Amino acid sequence: MSSNAITIPGVQIDEKPWVDTLHEWVTTVDHKRLGVLYILYALLFLVVAGVEALIIRIQLMFPHNHFVSPQVFNRLFTMHGTTMVFFMGMPILFGFANYLVPLMIGARDMAFPRLNAFSFWLSAMGGFLLYFSLVGANGLYGAGNAPDAGWWAYAPLTARAFSPGHSTDYWTLALLVSGFGSIGTAINIIATILCMRCPGMKLNRMPLLAWLNLVMAGMVLLAVSPLTAAQFMLLIDRYLGGHFFDTQAGGSAMLWMHFFWIFGHPEVYVLIIPCFAFMSEIIPVFSRKPIFGYPVMVAATVCIGFVSMSVWAHHMFSVGMNSYANSFFTITTMAVGVPTGIKIFNWLGTMWGGKIQFKVPMLFCIAFLFQFLTAGLTGIMLGSAAFDSQLTLSYFVVAHFHYTLVGGVVFGVFAALYYWYPKITGRILNETLGKLHFWLFLIGFHLTFDLMHIPGLLGMPRRIYTYEPGRGWDTVNLLISVGGFIQAIAVVIFAANLVVSYFKGKKAGNDPWDAWTLEWATSSPPPAYNFASIPLVASRRPLWDLKHPEDQ
Amino acid sequence: MATLLTTEPMSESPGAPREIEVPAPTAWPFVLAFGFTLLAAGLVTTITVSVFGAVLALAGCIGWFREVFPHEHEEVVPVLPEDIRITTERSIVERLPIPAYRRAWLPVHTYPISAGVKGGWAGAVAMAILACAYGVLKAGSVWYPINLLAAVVYAESLKLGPAQLYSFHADTFAIALVLHGLVSTLVGVLYGAMLPMFARRPIVLGGLIGPVLWSGLLYTILGFLNPLLASHIDWPWFIASQVAFGIVAGIVVTKQSRKPTRENLPFLMRAGIEAPGIIPPRENGEDGQ
Repeated sequence: MSSNAITIPGVQIDEKPWVDTLHEWVTTVDHKRLGVLYILYALLFLVVAGVEALIIRIQLMFPHNHFVSPQVFNRLFTMHGTTMVFFMGMPILFGFANYLVPLMIGARDMAFPRLNAFSFWLSAMGGFLLYFSLVGANGLYGAGNAPDAGWWAYAPLTARAFSPGHSTDYWTLALLVSGFGSIGTAINIIATILCMRCPGMKLNRMPLLAWLNLVMAGMVLLAVSPLTAAQFMLLIDRYLGGHFFDTQAGGSAMLWMHFFWIFGHPEVYVLIIPCFAFMSEIIPVFSRKPIFGYPVMVAATVCIGFVSMSVWAHHMFSVGMNSYANSFFTITTMAVGVPTGIKIFNWLGTMWGGKIQFKVPMLFCIAFLFQFLTAGLTGIMLGSAAFDSQLTLSYFVVAHFHYTLVGGVVFGVFAALYYWYPKITGRILNETLGKLHFWLFLIGFHLTFDLMHIPGLLGMPRRIYTYEPGRGWDTVNLLISVGGFIQAIAVVIFAANLVVSYFKGKKAGNDPWDAWTLEWATSSPPPAYNFASIPLVASRRPLWDLKHPEDQ
Repeated sequence: MATLLTTEPMSESPGAPREIEVPAPTAWPFVLAFGFTLLAAGLVTTITVSVFGAVLALAGCIGWFREVFPHEHEEVVPVLPEDIRITTERSIVERLPIPAYRRAWLPVHTYPISAGVKGGWAGAVAMAILACAYGVLKAGSVWYPINLLAAVVYAESLKLGPAQLYSFHADTFAIALVLHGLVSTLVGVLYGAMLPMFARRPIVLGGLIGPVLWSGLLYTILGFLNPLLASHIDWPWFIASQVAFGIVAGIVVTKQSRKPTRENLPFLMRAGIEAPGIIPPRENGEDGQ
C-alpha cells in the first residue's frame, strides 16, 4: 500500500441519533450517498433474487421433484429475471456511476442533484412495488400473486384472458416507475459528463469509466423509452380496451416482442458496458501499465453502442420473421463481436508485459475476461439463425446469458466493489476472505453454468417445472444446483466481509492501490464537496503526473 | 518504501476556500417519487391510493420548485482539514526511448485502407473463380457453390431441394454476392492492417498459414454456421479457394505503396487544414511537419 492511514487533526465526530442519520440519508442529494443507496438497494435485491434462483435450482435438482408448485415456479423465474435485470443489475451500475463519475471528472456533484435523488427513489419504489404484488395482487383478487408471465412478458400471456387479477399490472407498473427513474439517471450522467468536467479534462483525457458510462447512459435513453411506451400500451390494452397486442382483435403479439427486445438486447450492453469500464480502470492499475489503446477502446465502445441497437431481433429467430430479417440480424449480431473482441485484446494488451498484482479485484477481472469471452462465443453461435433455431428456448440459451450476466456483470461488480470499497468506506476489504469468496464463487459459477450448456444441447427446454428421469439431464441438473449453493456460500462470505471490514478493516488511506485517477486524490470517504480545490488536470492520469513529476 | 511527493494538505494550499456551498438536502424528490409511485399503485389497489399519490406528487412538485426558484437552496459546508498523500511505491518507471517531443507510434509505415480494399476485391475474384470452377468441374453447375454460400445467413437456402441447389435463384445469388463482397473487403482491410506487422515473408504467413488456420477453425464450427454448406462441402477445394484468396490478396496489398502512419498528427492536419501553429515547434526552432 502506498499509504496506511489518514489522520484528520482537529475533527471531532459527534454521535447522532439514528433518526437524524436516517433523515440525512432520505433527504440527501449528495451523489456519493445516492450512489451508496443504489448499491445497497441493489445488493438487497441480489440476495432476494439469489434466493429465488436457489429455490428454482432445488426444484430442478431431481426429476419429478415437487419442492414448489408449478404456479410458484412460474412466479419464481419471472421475479428472478425481472429483479436481477431491473432491480439489481441496473441500480448497482447506476450506483457506481453516481459515486464515481463526478469524482473521476473532478466535479463537486452530479449536474442535477435533486433529479438524482428523485431518480433513485423512483427506481427503489419500483422494486418495492413489484414485490408488493406478493401481498396486493393476491389479497384483492385471489387470482395469483406475483407476476408469472416471464421477464419478457410475451403477449398474449399478459392479456386479461390469460393473466387475470393484477399480477401482470404490478409488473408493468413497477417497470414503468423504475423506467422513469432510469431515464432520469441517464440524463443526469450525460449532462454531468458533458458539462461538469474540471479544467483541463478534455474528452480525450477523460477516464474510460466516464466515457463508457456516457455511452451506457445514451443507450439507456434509447432503450428504456420504447419499453416505457410498450408498458403504457399494455396498460391501455388491459384497462382501456386497447388491442395493441391482442391478436384476436387485430393486434400483434410480434409488436410486443419488437418493443421488448429493442429494449432487451441493448439492455445487456447497458449492463455490461459499465463492467467494461471497471475492467478498463482496474486492469491497468494492477498491471502497472497504462490502458492499451485508449482511443480504440473509446471508439469500440461507441461502436458497440451503435451496433447493439440493431441486433434485437436475434431473440426472435424462431417466431417466424422472414429470411431477410433473419439475415440482417445474424450479420449485425456477428458484427457486434468485432468491437467487443477489440476490447478484450486491449485488456490483454494492457496486462501483457505488466507487473501484475493478483489482488482480489484483479482476480475477478481476469475471470471476467475468460468468462465474457466464452459468453461472447456462445453468443456468436446463437446469433446464427440456423443454430439458434435448434437451440432457442433451451437451457443452452439460459447458460449463455447467465455466462454473460453472472460471469460478466456479477464478476465485474465484485471487482468494482473490492476496488472502490476503500474509497467508499475508508476501509479495505479483507484480502483472505476476498480470495475465499473469489475461488468459491468461481468454482460454483463454473460448476453451474459450464454444465448448464449440456442439458440445453441434450434438448432440455427452459422454464420447465420438472422433467422425466433418464433423459441424460438428471446428474447434470444435480451438479448445476450444487454449484448454485456453492455460489450462495461465497456470497455469504462476501456479505460477512463487507460488514466485518466496515468496522474492523484495515484503514485505506486516500490511495490504497497506488492508482492514477482523480477519485484517489481525495480522502476516503470523500468529503461532501469532493475536492477542496477543483483539480486542474493535464493528462489522462492526473495522479501519475503528481507521482512522477519527472515525466512532465 | 513509499516516496512522499507531497504532504501538503489540499485544504491548506493557496487559494483553497474555507467553506464550500453544496446543494441543500431536501425531501421533495422523495415525496414526489413516493407520490408518483402511489399514483400508479392506485390502479391496482384503490382509487384512494391514487388520489393520495396525486396530492403527494403535487406537493412534491411545488416543494421542489420552491427549492430551486427563485434561488437554489444551498448549504455551506466547512472545508475539513485533510491529509492527502499522493505517493507511490513504484518510483522506477520503464520507458521506451523515444524523441522527447513525441510519443511512439507504431508501426511507422502502413498500407492505406484502399490497399486492403483492392486486395480484398482481388482475392474475392480469385476465390470466386476457383469456387465456380469447382461448381462446373465437380458439381456440374456454377450456381451450386453460390447457393451453398448464401445459407450462412439466408434461411431460404436451407429449404432448397437437391435439384434446386444446381439452379439459379436471384435472391440467393444477390445475398451470396453481397456476403462474399463484404467479407472479402473486410478481410482485405484486415490484411492491409496486419501485413506490415509480418515483416518477413508476409505472403507465406498471411496468404498460406492464415487461410489454413482459418479453414481449420471453420472445419470445427461450419456445422453450426452453415449446416447446408457443411453437409456438401469439398474440403480440398474449399481450402484451395481460401489459400487463393490469401495469396492474391496478399500480393495485391504488398504491391501498394506504404504510407507513414498519421496518428501522431493533430486532427486538423489529418483533416487537411494547413495553418501555422498546429504543431508545436521542435527544439531547433523548425515547425513540425
